[in-house]
Amino acid sequence: MNFSLTLPALLAIPLVGVVLIALGSRPKTTALWASVLNLIPGFLASGMVLRSGEILFGPDPIPVKEVFPVKFILGMDGLSLSLVWLTLIVALTAIGAGREGVKREKEYYICLLLIGLGALGAFLSVDLFYFFSFHEVALIPTFLLVGMWGHGDRTGAAWRMTVYLMLGSMILLLGLIGLFLALPETARSLDWRVLSETLRANPLSPGIQHVVAALLLVGFGTLVSLVPFHSWAPGGYASAPAPAAMLHAGVLKKFGLYGLLRVALPMVPDGWKEISWLVGLLLAGNILYLGLASLQQRDFRWLLGFSSAMHMGTVFLGLISGTVLGLAGALTLMVGHGLSAALGFAVAGEISRRTGTSWMRDLGGLARRAPQLWFYLMIAAMASIGLPGLANFAGEIMIFFGSWTAHPVLVGVAAWGVVLSAVAMLRAVKAMAFGSMSPAVEAEGVTDLKGVRETWPFAVLTLALLLVGIMPLLVYGPARPVLERISLP
Amino acid sequence: MSAWFFPEILLTLAGVGLILMDALAPEGIRRRIPLFALLASLGILAWSLVPASRVLPTSWLSLFVSDGLSAVFKPFFLLCLVVVTAMACRYRLEADETVRGEFLALPFFPTAGLCLLASARDFLAVFVALEMVSISLYLLAAFHRAKPASLEAGIKLLVMGGLSTGFLVMGIAWLYAGAGTTDFSRLLLTQAGQGANPAALVAAGLILAGIGFKVAAVPFHAWAPDVYEGAPTPVTAFLAVASKAAGFILLIRVFGLGAFALESIGTYFRPILLTTGIATVTLGTLAALPQRDLKRLLAYSGIAHAGFMILALGTAGEGGIGTVVAYLWAYLLASLPVFLFINELENLHGSTDMRHLDGLGRREPGPSLGFTLCLLSMAGLPPLAGFPVKLAVLANLWNAGETPALVVAVIMAVAGLGIYLTPIRVMYWEREADVIPARRFAPFLIWVMLVAGFLGVGLGLKPQWLARVAEKSLNPLPVVESIRE
Repeated sequence: MNFSLTLPALLAIPLVGVVLIALGSRPKTTALWASVLNLIPGFLASGMVLRSGEILFGPDPIPVKEVFPVKFILGMDGLSLSLVWLTLIVALTAIGAGREGVKREKEYYICLLLIGLGALGAFLSVDLFYFFSFHEVALIPTFLLVGMWGHGDRTGAAWRMTVYLMLGSMILLLGLIGLFLALPETARSLDWRVLSETLRANPLSPGIQHVVAALLLVGFGTLVSLVPFHSWAPGGYASAPAPAAMLHAGVLKKFGLYGLLRVALPMVPDGWKEISWLVGLLLAGNILYLGLASLQQRDFRWLLGFSSAMHMGTVFLGLISGTVLGLAGALTLMVGHGLSAALGFAVAGEISRRTGTSWMRDLGGLARRAPQLWFYLMIAAMASIGLPGLANFAGEIMIFFGSWTAHPVLVGVAAWGVVLSAVAMLRAVKAMAFGSMSPAVEAEGVTDLKGVRETWPFAVLTLALLLVGIMPLLVYGPARPVLERISLP
Repeated sequence: MSAWFFPEILLTLAGVGLILMDALAPEGIRRRIPLFALLASLGILAWSLVPASRVLPTSWLSLFVSDGLSAVFKPFFLLCLVVVTAMACRYRLEADETVRGEFLALPFFPTAGLCLLASARDFLAVFVALEMVSISLYLLAAFHRAKPASLEAGIKLLVMGGLSTGFLVMGIAWLYAGAGTTDFSRLLLTQAGQGANPAALVAAGLILAGIGFKVAAVPFHAWAPDVYEGAPTPVTAFLAVASKAAGFILLIRVFGLGAFALESIGTYFRPILLTTGIATVTLGTLAALPQRDLKRLLAYSGIAHAGFMILALGTAGEGGIGTVVAYLWAYLLASLPVFLFINELENLHGSTDMRHLDGLGRREPGPSLGFTLCLLSMAGLPPLAGFPVKLAVLANLWNAGETPALVVAVIMAVAGLGIYLTPIRVMYWEREADVIPARRFAPFLIWVMLVAGFLGVGLGLKPQWLARVAEKSLNPLPVVESIRE
């Protein structure tokens, strides 16, 4: 069997799903089937990668005369492997958590499938042109999802989100252009394998590295909601419909971090090292400023939005640690955060759909009325605090150990961030769990999750969190050779 | 005279034939004029694509040349003509059906002029070709004799066009006074190796102003929105796509590679082009944002696109020129379907206000999807054709080290997203419209829009195709090649 076909299949299956829905097949069922079927090429491809330990390539593109140096090549190595799996799982559960009978159901599920498709394409592209393009593919569906099916100030949130993300993308594009043009004419390529090889052999001059690294930091940083480019994130997530928030916070945001791991660290290592003081400063802003801001939130969805942006600070700490351990921790936390954010937004979506509110003070007594929902809420909160046994803990502890020698102060800051996050989350959980039953919760028709049909997305995410938490090796093991190559001495 | 001259001849003959037919033929044939016009335009387009019709490079009387640039742009103008003719067949002429024949015949003449312009290698030829284009367009813009807006458009176009021709002719006169010739390649030869000649500089400035009107570059842009809004929609499409492209061909021939491609003049004009580009892209983008009329919106967005192309030209060198050629093709392939869609919208509702898009995403999913894809291509989002060309503009600016222009271009590319997302938002998110749900688009529009939209996706995923067109237009290098004869 030709395993190279599994990679295009990963992209083709959601696309077929989109076409079928457009042609009138039942939206949710089709989208679910597409996501479930997509697990098969996912298994096959990752099996190949794990067995050979090398990059698995898609079929060779038809050679064309090179007038524009881009090639559509797909490839998967240990680093993309875990992110592809994160996408597959979150896309599946997000579609599972999507409501049936939502208005304009067709477009809703098409948009969701397209976000997943864009993320998969970005993680699988070897050519940076397509890597960038696939991420943009996911932006318009996000805009439409927030604008059409969102709540609160959905128009404002959608515009803010889109403008920020576009601006970030354009700055990042400038960084990529700069990188491309800094190469000697004969060695110009957008293929990340070629680029990393060439640049390891002949590093760029420090000045150019500096500029490119700064552009990449601001560009990717905006996509990852690094302070001070974060202000699209909390409001955007609070307004987005639950599956869109799950996909964006869970998966699409990781594109920025993946890009830093794939482009900035290996290709402009000296530049990245040079600006790591700035990264340190900004990530402290993420942890402390957004951590304090999350304490002030009264709306559960806003709280999740802030805390999701806040945890990105810890991942950045891993990225500037310069050790394999720190990078492995960053990767693990990326996956763990993706899963826990998805679970959190899924629960928040269910709660506000059932009770009609997401104000924590109006949700007292939820634990008694809907114990299952509250249980998954606990899991999401505990994961995001960093309870041992859940994925985020594994990532955070590796980051702390990995960056202790280089940045002891920042480790202290990050540890303080854990405290802040614990206070915010535990207050939220407490407000919703105990106390007298509030009218919104007591109201007629507020029900718990019922049966496998409603609970499976939550259960899948919880199991994945536990699995990664107990065996983080699953995530960073395959990526280890890649991380060793890019870790800074 | 060789075969490459045929499109112009055929176009003129077809135009004259249609007018005669309209005047003399019996009623039964007259009713079929739209069909004849469409077939004629398609036939000439097909002819221009036959490889045998393009012998490269040959020149005629040292006035016209057939080279890569003209070979790439003749099909461009003919494709415009086909779409404009199709739009004119469907356009509502407000109870004045008797003039349909003229309305269909007139666009053949400016197209012939544009094809001539694409091959012109002498300022005299340029001038004649341009007049051929302009006079027919004045007529077409004012075609709704009963509508004040259309008359206003005609008058504005006439006055502004006259002014721009004045600049151009004045420039040509200065040039002739200074160099004694109007031939592009001879100009290049006589000027080479000399310092900047003041007469040549004045001439270049005046000619640049003249072309600036054509492409609607700031500060010569003010006519565009009013004329676009007032003119009949098929004419607007012609102005927005074909006429703008003609301006850029001139810029390429004159400033890019031809008469003024010399370093002595380039050093003066590169900053001017860059400044104009920055101003144009900024004004076009910012002014397009609040527009609620689709034709006005496209007028300003066209100004913004012109700004991007001027910036690419301002970087000098073949990279910038190839970028402009590819950009024009991507712009053509996105904006012609958009105008076709607007034409149909106007047919249904009688105006081009954006509120007619309300809820369209649900009522007409197919055309709306195609329209959305074309708009996103204009916005320059991947994976659509507009992305690689915008990327090429940015890469050129970076390569030339033009940081301020680069920064402005990036900011405006992002802000420009707002222009195109606004109609999309109206189609998909706005309250369900209660306006006349019974009226439906003609069925052909579904397929046309979908094909156009997915063509944009295809070109975005395979930018090599656009790159090959750009490469072809520069092979052999226009004008420069003919010096070696």
